[in-house]
Amino acid sequence: MSKSEKLEGSNNEIIFGSDNPNAIEVIDLTKIFTGKKVIEEVRAVDGISFSVNKGEIFGLLGPNGAGKTTTINILVGLLNQTEGNAFVGGYNVKKNLNKIKELIGVCPQQASVYQYLNAKENIELFGNLHLVKKEVINERMEKFLDLLGLTKAANRSAKKYSGGMLRQLNLIVALISDPPILFLDEPTVGMDARVRRATWEFINSLKETNKTVVLTTHYIEEAEALCDRVAIIDFGKLVALGPPKELIEKHNTKDLEEVFLKITGRRIMEGI
Amino acid sequence: MKRQRIFAFVKIQLKSLIKVPTALFVILILPVALILIFGFAFGSIYVEDYGWTGQDGYLFEFMVPGFIAISGLFMAIPVALSFSEDREQGMLKRINTTPTTAAEFIVSHIISNMFMAIIQVAIIFILAFLIGGMRNITPVGILLSFVIMIIFTLSTIGFGLITATVSKSAKAAGGIVWIFLLPQQLLASNLYPLPPETQIVTMFMPLYYASDSLSLLFFAVELTNLRIWWDLLILVAFSLVLIIAGILLFKKYGRA
Repeated sequence: MSKSEKLEGSNNEIIFGSDNPNAIEVIDLTKIFTGKKVIEEVRAVDGISFSVNKGEIFGLLGPNGAGKTTTINILVGLLNQTEGNAFVGGYNVKKNLNKIKELIGVCPQQASVYQYLNAKENIELFGNLHLVKKEVINERMEKFLDLLGLTKAANRSAKKYSGGMLRQLNLIVALISDPPILFLDEPTVGMDARVRRATWEFINSLKETNKTVVLTTHYIEEAEALCDRVAIIDFGKLVALGPPKELIEKHNTKDLEEVFLKITGRRIMEGI
Repeated sequence: MKRQRIFAFVKIQLKSLIKVPTALFVILILPVALILIFGFAFGSIYVEDYGWTGQDGYLFEFMVPGFIAISGLFMAIPVALSFSEDREQGMLKRINTTPTTAAEFIVSHIISNMFMAIIQVAIIFILAFLIGGMRNITPVGILLSFVIMIIFTLSTIGFGLITATVSKSAKAAGGIVWIFLLPQQLLASNLYPLPPETQIVTMFMPLYYASDSLSLLFFAVELTNLRIWWDLLILVAFSLVLIIAGILLFKKYGRA
């Protein structure tokens, strides 16, 4: 009996107890797009399996169109998988989505905040959507704004923010409910080097709070700097999985980019 | 349904009234401008002088109910734009990753739009009263006018949701919404007399029932007049069908 079958047979309720080290389990996950507008079927995610340990920063690495965002969208309930299983916080994404939504914070690729509201109003809104108490929202908001250097701009309308500031606000909004599991989809795209470094420090500091972070990126140095383990995806398939150092040593290369090049014959940045 | 979530949405939707120029223009500035311009232009012209026989009163008095109804109809514009923009900017997807339910989101929109409708009607009433466009309406008639407009708001939210569903972008929604608005505005607003043949078309327009019932109230027709209640009943039916159709269509095709 395969692992997938075992999990299916366990009634798909909480399969990971508090002693289970996995925060996320992905088993033979496949997503095929066959909409009316798609002439040929597109296998965006092709039978990938991996697990994410509690408290770990896990990177999904690959070129644009590799299947990173599709995988995340399945895990957060925005897409249904075609085949396979996925469990977040012990809950099946197909059957217990409401429970999962209480456990996760999502920082989408597109900086999704209300442009006509200021930072405080946006953060407060999402705190309320997670039913966080007002005083707790305020306390966390002050802390995050300060940590990311947005305090001075907190009362300014988001439409007046630079791209980097919007991305930072995007991240804070995902964190306001203090979720144990965070999905960060290309959180530093469009940031200048200084702001990106500050954001890396911030994401790294989340380790101290024992949060599980799933991070997608096509920046090699970002994955190397932040992730405990990475999964490299190409054309929807998982081509490598492990700690960055281990993968580099195993393939006897200079960095993860070369690992990817060695396995797939192309560069991660080629697909961008 | 959690009150904290609904109120959080209502709060930001009401803020959009002040902070989003389109919403401010359509919901407040446009009705005020219409009342002021037409009030001062037609406020001293008797309908008989204008050629309407068998009627008594100033031309402007006949127009006010139509303006109230049209102002309510125009609320479909910010609804269509806000849903389309939310989708375009990824807000709907993001909200969908929180524990918020679709019902909480839609109910918050209904509450905030009804609240805006109340503000809108109140402002029009005050201005029309000052200019002299509501000499005959009774206090009960005023109260009933608010009820009519609150019900009518449901149908405009429905139009807004249907527009957002069929539009690929907020820009497109801004144009497409007029397919629903313009025929109603031209044929069913009761602003001017139209040949009876048009009634076949206006029967299918919720604006007609809102403006007709408002017109009856503005000329102090007895509340025992069945036409008022018949109008109201059809308006309720239209509003329920449109809001349910809007919600179902948007849920199925409009959120991606």
